[in-house]
Amino acid sequence: MDMELTGEQRLLVEAVEALGSRWQAMPPGHERDYAHYEANLQGALAEGGFLRAGLDMGMLEAALVAIEVSRLPVVTSVGASALVAAVLTGDVPDGPLAIVGGDWRKAQRMLPVATHALALHGERALLLDLAGVAVAPVASVYAYPYGRFAAEPDWSAATDIGDAATLRQWARVAIACEAAGAAESAVAVTVAHVKERFAFGRAIGSYQAVQHRLAQCHQIARAMRFLALHAAWSGEATAADIAATYAQDHVNKLAFDLHQFSGGMGVTCEYQLHFFSYRLRALQGELGGADGAASGVYDRLWGAAA
Amino acid sequence: MEFAWTEEQQAYRTRVKGALDELLPDDWDSHYAPQGYGSADQINFSREFCPKLAERGLLVRHWPAEWGGESADPWEQFILAEEMKWRGEPRGPQYMNVNWLGPVLMKYGTPEQQEEHLGRIRRGEVIWCQGYSEPGAGTDLAALQTRAERKGNGYVVNGQKIWTSYSRLADFCFLLARTGQGRKDISIFLVPMDTPGIEVKPFPGLVSDGHLNEVFFTDVEVPGSARVGEEGKAWDIITYALSFERVGIPRYHVGRKLLDKAIAQLAREGRGDDPVIKARVGRIVAKFEAARLLTYVVVDQRAKGAGPSVDANISRITASEACTDLTNFLIEYVPDCLTTGDPVLREFHRGNIAATIAAGTYELQLNLIARGALDLPRGN
Ligand SMILES: Cc1cc2nc3c(=O)[nH]c(=O)nc-3n(C[C@H](O)[C@H](O)[C@H](O)COP(=O)(O)OP(=O)(O)OC[C@H]3O[C@@H](n4cnc5c(N)ncnc54)[C@H](O)[C@@H]3O)c2cc1C
Repeated sequence: MDMELTGEQRLLVEAVEALGSRWQAMPPGHERDYAHYEANLQGALAEGGFLRAGLDMGMLEAALVAIEVSRLPVVTSVGASALVAAVLTGDVPDGPLAIVGGDWRKAQRMLPVATHALALHGERALLLDLAGVAVAPVASVYAYPYGRFAAEPDWSAATDIGDAATLRQWARVAIACEAAGAAESAVAVTVAHVKERFAFGRAIGSYQAVQHRLAQCHQIARAMRFLALHAAWSGEATAADIAATYAQDHVNKLAFDLHQFSGGMGVTCEYQLHFFSYRLRALQGELGGADGAASGVYDRLWGAAA
Repeated sequence: MEFAWTEEQQAYRTRVKGALDELLPDDWDSHYAPQGYGSADQINFSREFCPKLAERGLLVRHWPAEWGGESADPWEQFILAEEMKWRGEPRGPQYMNVNWLGPVLMKYGTPEQQEEHLGRIRRGEVIWCQGYSEPGAGTDLAALQTRAERKGNGYVVNGQKIWTSYSRLADFCFLLARTGQGRKDISIFLVPMDTPGIEVKPFPGLVSDGHLNEVFFTDVEVPGSARVGEEGKAWDIITYALSFERVGIPRYHVGRKLLDKAIAQLAREGRGDDPVIKARVGRIVAKFEAARLLTYVVVDQRAKGAGPSVDANISRITASEACTDLTNFLIEYVPDCLTTGDPVLREFHRGNIAATIAAGTYELQLNLIARGALDLPRGN
């Protein structure tokens, strides 16, 4: 048991941080977007080999990459590309990738920018090449791009890349990692704000009513990070469900408190919080949300007893 | 970062489990465990059990060799604590002795104090209580009024403590008393509980047995040699002790065991497949796992020799939230746990009603996180 990063892991995180430093702020022209997929960052991650960390170093390292990239306000498909792609069979491209499931008529996260989709199709996981597949962008305040298929995709043209359970498990780890990174930045944005914003002659952040809830938010983000890392390290479905349960279950608390303490500014596009909070919101309901993941935990641990 | 236990650690856990299987009586789970580790039966049992644990080299393995330990790393201390907690803490209050009272004396005690007390603790022969809180001083501990006034080479103590767990059966008290006019002019004394002028009065309450006591000190004479550290310098020592206490109890470790019991009962009642229950239970498991990992962060820091950090406060609130969620769940879904149901579930509930209060309240932890982790400005 060692809860600190090794020298190699630290170098990896620092390299991702250095790569991402260009995108600490939104690129010019995108400051007021709801979501901005950053193709250059996705490309740089692929080129730098970061999306292959799972294969080259280990899944814990892939999770570190995913969390670090998710701390940025711009979007990539890092969870799917670094984590999910690494465990499926065959040669899954770096992406950008969309993980699609459920009713094909509904809006799917990342679909309009993805080159390929990883589809939950019955009991199987399929790789669908999106070249030539008509996708219509869907407008939303979620901080990921959304789109939908113009017609039902031709699943027979897709490649089988494993079972749906594996895809679902690692999609949950990806959710947990992207949520952890977004949560850390959402807390950081808000903490910075409450130190600078004054009311009644004091920084808002000096009021205990504010401090306590932010301390809870910080604790939640810490817990999300370690649960996500543990899920990636263990490769166990129960740990993945636990990490997703915790992350998805705590989005309401984070979104409420962090928006609350940001006041009116928090609901503007100008202020960075929504890039993180509405990413968390987007992840909150995926794959059955906290209830779905929690039931998975229960069934795995006590299914036999029931 | 590495989440796996080493082979030695796994072997150590097996050894601890084996010792527990051998040393606990057949009626441990049915008779002792449901009473809680502050009960008279468990405290008395600990006086037999801890010496046997000591004989097997399991009581203070994490202590330095010069004090009779084997300098085992803090991970072993935690593996031991987890397994003890799993069985209902058969060390009784002696977990405090080995986890922080002993280490405090190693760091701050005089050679005579070390000589007198560390041996007893190491051999598992002694019960301590902690006399910090008073009717007018809880969270604001520095408001305490109990006084120790100089008389010759010693002191005379007058005042009252409250919530002094285990004091009814304790041999010694780790006592905080005011020795000067300044707010933090407070000193620590090691006081035998049979000293004339000490009176313990238990009173009834919701929490498990053994915690609710008042302790009155009337003209209690304490020799100067019983003072730990310099006069008026208790604060550093107490901060040191509390940093251990906050992660000292692996509360996270019993979550699964209690849920096993609750779910077995729900399954017998035909409710094992209820989706609402599943959704609730999965969330509770997730919180317990979060508490486990965040506690391991603190243990790791300690294993690497780092000083106390805000991570101890973070782990503490995570664990107490998980316990609170579980107590809530038990009351909602297994309400007979407080009446005719499983006494181990009842003990968990009663043992955790005050999980967010004892050893520094939940709000105090939040204050410390706001300052220590987020650097938020002080009020006023
Ligand atoms: C089961 C149990 C066992 C215990 N065992 C021991 C023991 O062995 N030895 C011992 O010395 N003590 C013991 N205690 C006492 C325990 O340490 C105190 O109860 C605790 O420190 C809180 O003090 P209090 O009860 O006076 O509450 P108070 O200090 O009166 O607090 C009441 C409420 O006010 C809040 N509050 C107080 N100050 C602030 C602030 N600045 N900001 C925000 N909120 C605040 C608290 O968080 C709490 O919610 C035990 C308590 C219990 C319940």
